Amino acid sequence: MYEYEPRTASLRGPEAPHGFSERSYLVDIPDRHKPRHGSCGIAGCMNIDGSLISGSRIEKMITTMSERENGLGSGFVAYGLFPDFADEYCMQFLFENEESQALTEETLSEWVYMIKDEKVPTFPQSGMSPPFPLVWRYFVRPKTGTEAYVRTGLSEEDYMVRLVMSVNDSVPGSYCVSSGKDMAVFKGSGYAREIAKFYDISRYKGCMWLSHSRFPTNSPGWWAGSHPISILDWSVCHNGEITSYGVNRKLVEMAGYKCNLLTDSEVVTYLWDLMVRRHRLPVTAAAFAMAPWYYRDIERLPEDERRLANQLRITYKEAFLNGPFSILVGRSDPVTMIALADRKKLRPLVMGESDDGNSVYAASEECAIKSVQYDARIWATRAGNPAVVKVGEGIVRRGTESPFLGAI
Amino acid sequence: MSDDNSTVVIDAGERDRLGHPLDYRELNRRIRKTLSEGQERIVLMNVMGQRYIASATGGTRMRIEIHGTPGNDLGAFLNGGTLEVFGNAQDVTANTMNGGRIVVHGNSGDITGLAARGGTLLVKGNSGYRVGIHIKEFEGVGPSLVIGGFVNDYVGEYMAGGTIFVMGLGCTSSPVGLNVGAGMHGGRILVRGGLDEHQLGPGACLAELDEKDAAVVEGLMSQYEAAFAATIDRSVPVLKVMPLDSRPFRGHYDSTTI
Amino acid sequence: MRTDIKVPEKYLPIIDQEACIRCKRCIKSCSYGALEFKDDKVRVKDGCVSCLRCVIDCPTSAITVVERPSSYAPHAVFSPEIRRSIMAQANSGGVLLSSCGANAEYMDIFNDILLDAAQVTNPSIDPLREPVETKTYLGRRPGKVVVDDDGRIDLDASETPIVVMDMPIMIGHISLGSISYNAQAALFRAASELNILAGTGEGGLHNDFYCHSKNLCAEVASGRFGVTSHYLKEVSCVDIKIGQGAKPGHGGHLPGEKVQKLISETRMIPLGTDALSPYPHHDIYSIEDLQQLISVLKESTEYSVPVGVKIAAVHNVGAIASGIVRAGADFLTIDGLRGGTGSAPRVIRDHAGMPIEIAVSAVDQRLQEEGLRDKVTLCASGSIRTAADMIKCIALGADVVGVCTSAMIAMGCTVCQQCHRGACSWGIATQVPELAARLDTEVAAQRVINMFHAWNEELKEIMGAMGIDSVESLVGNRDRLRYIGPNPRIAEILDVKHSGEGWG
Repeated sequence: MYEYEPRTASLRGPEAPHGFSERSYLVDIPDRHKPRHGSCGIAGCMNIDGSLISGSRIEKMITTMSERENGLGSGFVAYGLFPDFADEYCMQFLFENEESQALTEETLSEWVYMIKDEKVPTFPQSGMSPPFPLVWRYFVRPKTGTEAYVRTGLSEEDYMVRLVMSVNDSVPGSYCVSSGKDMAVFKGSGYAREIAKFYDISRYKGCMWLSHSRFPTNSPGWWAGSHPISILDWSVCHNGEITSYGVNRKLVEMAGYKCNLLTDSEVVTYLWDLMVRRHRLPVTAAAFAMAPWYYRDIERLPEDERRLANQLRITYKEAFLNGPFSILVGRSDPVTMIALADRKKLRPLVMGESDDGNSVYAASEECAIKSVQYDARIWATRAGNPAVVKVGEGIVRRGTESPFLGAI
Repeated sequence: MSDDNSTVVIDAGERDRLGHPLDYRELNRRIRKTLSEGQERIVLMNVMGQRYIASATGGTRMRIEIHGTPGNDLGAFLNGGTLEVFGNAQDVTANTMNGGRIVVHGNSGDITGLAARGGTLLVKGNSGYRVGIHIKEFEGVGPSLVIGGFVNDYVGEYMAGGTIFVMGLGCTSSPVGLNVGAGMHGGRILVRGGLDEHQLGPGACLAELDEKDAAVVEGLMSQYEAAFAATIDRSVPVLKVMPLDSRPFRGHYDSTTI
Repeated sequence: MRTDIKVPEKYLPIIDQEACIRCKRCIKSCSYGALEFKDDKVRVKDGCVSCLRCVIDCPTSAITVVERPSSYAPHAVFSPEIRRSIMAQANSGGVLLSSCGANAEYMDIFNDILLDAAQVTNPSIDPLREPVETKTYLGRRPGKVVVDDDGRIDLDASETPIVVMDMPIMIGHISLGSISYNAQAALFRAASELNILAGTGEGGLHNDFYCHSKNLCAEVASGRFGVTSHYLKEVSCVDIKIGQGAKPGHGGHLPGEKVQKLISETRMIPLGTDALSPYPHHDIYSIEDLQQLISVLKESTEYSVPVGVKIAAVHNVGAIASGIVRAGADFLTIDGLRGGTGSAPRVIRDHAGMPIEIAVSAVDQRLQEEGLRDKVTLCASGSIRTAADMIKCIALGADVVGVCTSAMIAMGCTVCQQCHRGACSWGIATQVPELAARLDTEVAAQRVINMFHAWNEELKEIMGAMGIDSVESLVGNRDRLRYIGPNPRIAEILDVKHSGEGWG
């Protein structure tokens, strides 16, 4: 993935009223040698019965593919993490300093009830470049009873999206890395092994983990731009480059999302939220919109599916992610993993399941799966065909089926 | 109102469950459905501003009565049949009418009969500005727009054929406004009660009726009398406005190779 | 009253008397009476317009046409064109007419834009061996599909009238009247064969051409020529013409001598009468009236075809475009100032409007800001001369490009800018039967097909090089463009970075 420089000065710079007053290593893209595209590694694991998996497992998976990274960003997301606070939104922040934390808390207090907050323990590693952020998490409930809330006319989820966008856009030195229920994102600038140690990932247990390690070209650290990129309970780990970024960005911005990370991967997260949560599309239909079949192949589908395929291409043409990608997408309630590769299968993606069928894996390379489950049965999804696995339900689709099972 | 058994009555004042009046889309859908089922006599009751009524319809036996106030673009692209309005019609009635007959027992608004090329429009009362703009004829047939009372400025602008007849019933002065027949290059505007030179637009001139015109005048008067049960005083003189030239702006352009 | 002083001739045909075989073909070829045969020689008279018909027809290549060397004394301010136009107006007192697109040297921004290509981080695609899709839709898009309470997609509620084209290209509106029957037949045949759209122009649709109606867009202009319910319902989409880039705010005027039987039948007007298109639509004096015309056309076609609006690019084009979309237009065409015409006052043609590059970009950005861009198809026209222009125009925000002049050139037009005189020696912009018969419909159609086929192949080559395998991912994708011209302010307005600026 690569990052884009803002076209206007509206996001930062002295003339921007709500911009960052100074450079922030958290959320600012450095002047020169900005991270560009390159190779990345993605990995995911989950237990269908909901039993918990230690962070060391995902750490092992992602670090097995260390050839795919160059130390300029990595991250993890865990689901099923906070059974005691499963009904609260967990907002996890990176702060540059205490002042940005105080400003953020001020904003939060206007929007949400604070149920609990805690410092996220961090352990800076010798290879990593300081400074290091202050990491904090808040379990919150939106103030939906207030008149101010009613006036927004927003659903609870959209209200939370707006809060996240608002903080990330306007509070200097503060960045909300995740905001969903029963999940949290741990990410930063460094090698995967360093980020894993920085957060001591092994101390956490979740029923599903996704992870990402990145290989941009020469670049200093940039914490917020690391993956997974998350909004609400959506999280996305992305490997590839989206050649259609300008087009995709247009669609999500029209729908009210702010692309303040300016990475192509960011739009993928918002597209999932837009199409599946807000437009209520079945996952298969949303995946099709992002990685549609060629027209010549659509011609061969049965009548109903052909109509749907064409309609999705017409309606969501700005959602089409053109270019090479493979993505892992996570979501809560029920905890779900979606694995999808582009329509030409230009980026790698393999799936695996344990012999007992309870553990399911996804990764850029088979070695990542075999490193933790030597006897895993391996399969590959087809180009543009999502694999979907849900806790409590199992493998809903393997990414080899006809495109619209259950959508029409 | 018709007492024919096969008449279909549609109540345009019907409210939907939210209390909104019948939408023009739904009203037209019902009209088209009724016509497609072979029922050609329709009565619309309680019409209140629904636009585009009966647009692009027109079997020769079609007859639609409209009670209330139809909205703009009544009978646009009409091909045949009769629309009869018991009330006033709004703006752009008979837009690009191709054929058929529209009878208005009241007044019609601005831009009545825009670009019509066929059919007959009879308005019992007055009409607004720009009546009969750019009406034209084709293969010797043109539209006839008959206004019982007066019309305002720019009647027959760009006119390329057909007949506009302004009768001036109940008027004490000229029943047409200014810029009459501006840029007209075909057709005739007949004005009962006359008009003055200064009321003419560029490219138009005044003339006496010839025999053919007189026959047209008499024919349209009879139609009017039949439609509205009226009697018209034949002693009031009728003047004709016609194009000075079929190429009014010939000298306006220069084609030299620059 | 005319007070003539001769305006010096502009072009000079030179006859190589040694090579000339006195076949007199050139004299027949010349529709402007600039050649005669006298004393056993081809001799030159006044009136040459440099249409090159004689040059191409001459079997021994004995003719050369040059600009007259005995020109006005050079002057940096009073160019020969300015002096000629003053002379002509002093002669006639008339508004100077011309045709084709603007002939003033306004900045050609397309030439200042460079395209991107994929290197390393993203594979380029070989379009000869892997699919690169150029299928394009025209019409209103619903914004989202309708999902029922069971989470299933309701297709009937989601679909809108849409035209499917095999290339993002529409042959623009060129009326029968401005061009000959044969020329229009060739364009329509090419559109059918290529499965793209062609505009009917404002002159109605001749009965012979209804066989192409699935590839035709019917224009409804202020003259309403030939507009009947049949015309509206038979075609695949309907376009309300508000304006034309070559003459924004101006109407149309087809002189009576062109209105012969064929034109009279098609426009449904009397023989020999001038066909005038009023400057405005007289049922549209404001935006809510536009909504009314859009609605009556939709109602009259029973919502079966997309209804669009075409405007000339003028200074406030972004806001106007947004109003048009809100008024219900399913597609929107912006015609830039260099767009073509069969006849326009020179003063408007050369001085009014906005280049299409800026206009399309402004409209695309404005519609996006207002959250409307995913609802409407944006067409852009006005001197899309080559595939490169087309690609840049799409990346600046157009879904579809409209092309006219290049299609004419493919048929033989040499852009001599005499269309308004009706004596086109190539049989394109004329209604004189002997001249019109010069255009072979089959050959002309095939040449247009060949040209657009080549453009589409070039589009695929460029997209492939960028690593984009479907054209919708190029629409408004300004990251794929860089500016290299003299005025960085233009880059800002286009929202395109300067060459040398990367992503980081």
